[in-house]
Amino acid sequence: MVDQKELINAVKETVSREDVRYIVGYEEGTYGFETAPSFAYTSDDARKFIFNPLCTKNLVVYPILEEKLPLKREEQEDDRKIGIVVKGCDSRALVQILQEKGLKRENLVLIGIPCTGVVNTKKIKDKFPNQTEYTDVKEEKNHYVFSIEESVQKIPKKELLADVCKECEYPNPVIFDILIGEETEVETEPTYIEVREFEEKSLSEKWEYWKKHFENCIRCYACREACPLCYCKTCMADFLDPQWIRRSVDLSENTAWNIMRAFHLAGRCVSCGECERACPAEIPLMKLNKVLEKEIRELYDYTAGLDPEEKTLFGTFNPDDPEEFIM
Amino acid sequence: MKIGVYVCECGSNIADTVDTEEVADSVKLLPNVAVSRVYKYKCSDPGQELIRQDIEEFGLDKVVVAACSPSMHEPTFRAVLEDKGLNPYCLEMVNIREQCSWVHADKDKGTDKAVSLVKGAVMRSELMEPLDRKKVGVISKALVIGGGIAGIQAALDIANSGFQVTLVEKKSTIGGKMAQLDKTFPTLDCSQCILSPKMVDVGRHPNITLYANSEVKQVDGYIGNFKVKIKRNPRYVIEDKCTLCDDCVPVCPVIVHDEYNENLSPRKAIYIANPQAVPASYIINPDNCLGIEPLICSKCRDVCGPEAIDFDMREEIIEDEFGAIVVATGYETYPIENIGEYGYGTIQDVISGLEFERILAANGPTAGLVRRPSDGRIPQTVIFIHCAGSRDPAKNLSYCSKICCMYATKHALQYKHHVHSGLAVNFYIDIRTGGKDYEEFYKRAAEEENVIFIRGKVSEVLQDGDRILIKGVNTLTAETIEMHADMVVLATGIQPSEGTKEISNLLKLSRDMSGFVKEAHPKLKPVETSISGVYIAGTVSGPKDIPDVVSHAGRAAIRSINILAQKELEVEATIAKVNDVLCRGCGMCVDSCPYGAIELKAIDRYGYTFEIADVNAAVCKGCGTCAATCLNGAIDQLGYTDSQILSLIKALADE
Repeated sequence: MVDQKELINAVKETVSREDVRYIVGYEEGTYGFETAPSFAYTSDDARKFIFNPLCTKNLVVYPILEEKLPLKREEQEDDRKIGIVVKGCDSRALVQILQEKGLKRENLVLIGIPCTGVVNTKKIKDKFPNQTEYTDVKEEKNHYVFSIEESVQKIPKKELLADVCKECEYPNPVIFDILIGEETEVETEPTYIEVREFEEKSLSEKWEYWKKHFENCIRCYACREACPLCYCKTCMADFLDPQWIRRSVDLSENTAWNIMRAFHLAGRCVSCGECERACPAEIPLMKLNKVLEKEIRELYDYTAGLDPEEKTLFGTFNPDDPEEFIM
Repeated sequence: MKIGVYVCECGSNIADTVDTEEVADSVKLLPNVAVSRVYKYKCSDPGQELIRQDIEEFGLDKVVVAACSPSMHEPTFRAVLEDKGLNPYCLEMVNIREQCSWVHADKDKGTDKAVSLVKGAVMRSELMEPLDRKKVGVISKALVIGGGIAGIQAALDIANSGFQVTLVEKKSTIGGKMAQLDKTFPTLDCSQCILSPKMVDVGRHPNITLYANSEVKQVDGYIGNFKVKIKRNPRYVIEDKCTLCDDCVPVCPVIVHDEYNENLSPRKAIYIANPQAVPASYIINPDNCLGIEPLICSKCRDVCGPEAIDFDMREEIIEDEFGAIVVATGYETYPIENIGEYGYGTIQDVISGLEFERILAANGPTAGLVRRPSDGRIPQTVIFIHCAGSRDPAKNLSYCSKICCMYATKHALQYKHHVHSGLAVNFYIDIRTGGKDYEEFYKRAAEEENVIFIRGKVSEVLQDGDRILIKGVNTLTAETIEMHADMVVLATGIQPSEGTKEISNLLKLSRDMSGFVKEAHPKLKPVETSISGVYIAGTVSGPKDIPDVVSHAGRAAIRSINILAQKELEVEATIAKVNDVLCRGCGMCVDSCPYGAIELKAIDRYGYTFEIADVNAAVCKGCGTCAATCLNGAIDQLGYTDSQILSLIKALADE
């Protein structure tokens, strides 16, 4: 468990620095088991900051989506740093963005949190459907502890842990300026069991599976908005000329969108699971992402979001590449 | 808009498998098609004339020609459009020969496919736009990298045409591997005697600047305008002052192996590679010398009459600009110690081909007498093993090194000339004598001069007392062979040199599976590379013998002169174009561009500084890699825009 005081103190100290504009972290939400993003502009604001297994969101989306208003003549750009509270996966998304020059490292202060996995909030809601007040969750050994209406309930961790956290290789931030608490021990290496099982299926079985899911897609693009790496100024899905994807919500266009989204994250996705978490139609988007992650690891021995100095996978031109998979 | 469609029958080449009339009819009703015709040979003069007439009569602004591959006749029809004042990029060619009639047998299906392809082209042509070819200025100077026979020949050919050439050589002298050879096949003329006049020519040519002991460190820019940084390593001897008196050598206390003699003899820390060296000057190797930081010994400086020695010489970076570059970085011999069963490196009298070359040479370690390295005795039996490293895809080089059959035959013959009573035995897989007078040379060795050739593989070479035991098999009789020899010479294969690897990385040249630089076309563009304005000469693109190298280098020179002789160059118009508004400056295109044609440039937008991609039109080849890499479609390839390709796909999918 993360020491709440240590976190708040770190945020207070950081936000008081002259070269820091604000810090984005988590605070208690207004409903059930949802936490909300919290912005601290003063050290006073830091009091609200929390971290617990409900802090699922990848906050890296905020600095990159920040709108910059046109500068007036003689006006200087506010180049103070932005602070972000990051878990392992969040920090990897940030590394990927740094590689893609979307943000500059010198403009960021990273408060790293060694993560022990976050919960799947949908599963908690199924267990406590009537809970409307914000409810805290604590992690104790291999259990999550809920205090609801003066009774304490313990639920085994594996029942509620988010799928994407089960095979997490990088629970600790890969880059940070301040680390809160001790690093988490890494226990797992990815087995891609689910992907491998899926690959065993026949083509028609696979298509039936995805058809069922893609038919449910309402093209709300929540997956895109939640993804820290979907930050193109204008998404190709919104182009009118050429119109890659038509506006109509039907199986053909939905399939095109979902495949395009996955392909645009090939070699970039860091498995934070935000797309799947955001999807109201419960499409297993991480399954698509994981297939690509596995392929890329096998083909190029490449893992996204580890070293800010490394080149992006698609930005690699190697004259020695024998291109065995083409010829 | 008015589109003209022309379907070629190509005699029977297309018409046999495609109903050309049906194809022409199928697009007649498409919007904007003003005329659709069939003609027997569209590329013929009357065929071209028909298009000219139609442009005038119907006022066409787009032309679709369904015929052969655009690599054949696109220039022909573009010229037709230009004749009539249309932009040449308003032509669309549909390949219904190589990609349709030639690969199909069923006429109905072939026709269907041709109809789809032509419909797609018509749809695409509606969106085609006139494009302009940009022009860039040319710096009329050439850079030649590598001073072996290939580099020497290329430099001389360019210089003799009146252009300035800078020749950069890593070693202390030019001449390369050829300067190490004793004699050349099949004429047995002395290698140095035919090479040194060319070396001298390079040294004194008014149009050639020679930087020996130097390396190319950085190359930027593009065809006509390369910006190059050359590092001149210190020689510690002032070239102009050195009189080659040799007074410095006897006093030098440091003795090391002489690389020129393949380490078979000693040299001093101050030395000259060979008496014919160009530039004609001694050199100090700083790794060996005791006089350079700290100054422990200065004996050579003390005796040097003309005061040519300068221990304080420092490396120097020279920056210059060139219009064309010839890469002639050559080969190196295969490390035969990798072939464990041949015992090279453990058995002293097993030597490489190049070592034997030095032993044969009059200025070599044994003054031209054939003596074996272990005890200096004259060997009475010498075995020459062909394909040492070559043609062995499982463990060593997969390819044929081309020169070894001939030089091993030459070695055997030369040995017989030196030791008349000696026995020369060649073990070979095949004898490859593809070259003028090569077969005759082989016949002479085998039939007139008693060189023995055994078709077979040597499986093991062992030390046996002071002799060498060879085990192998005769593959013609299927008998195993065991025989003794006094010396074994391995006909060592050749591979790309370190310099070839370094320079091709620096210039981003594509290399093949073996590591040699890839030609732009293996047959028709043998000296061109993936980079415009960069040409290759000699063994940098694969094994070659001397006459091949010389003619190869000559063509590299001609192609360079083609560039240097022009005031300005027109560059291809189908290049990448960045949409400044969409570009988010991630730089993936910069990294993925094989030609280094894209840079990030800073722009000001609403008071903020952003970086966006900027394509250098002169360098861009229009390969489309960046357009495919760009995640939000901010790069389009002119002439092949996403919209054009999508409209083509829509037409194809419409069936």
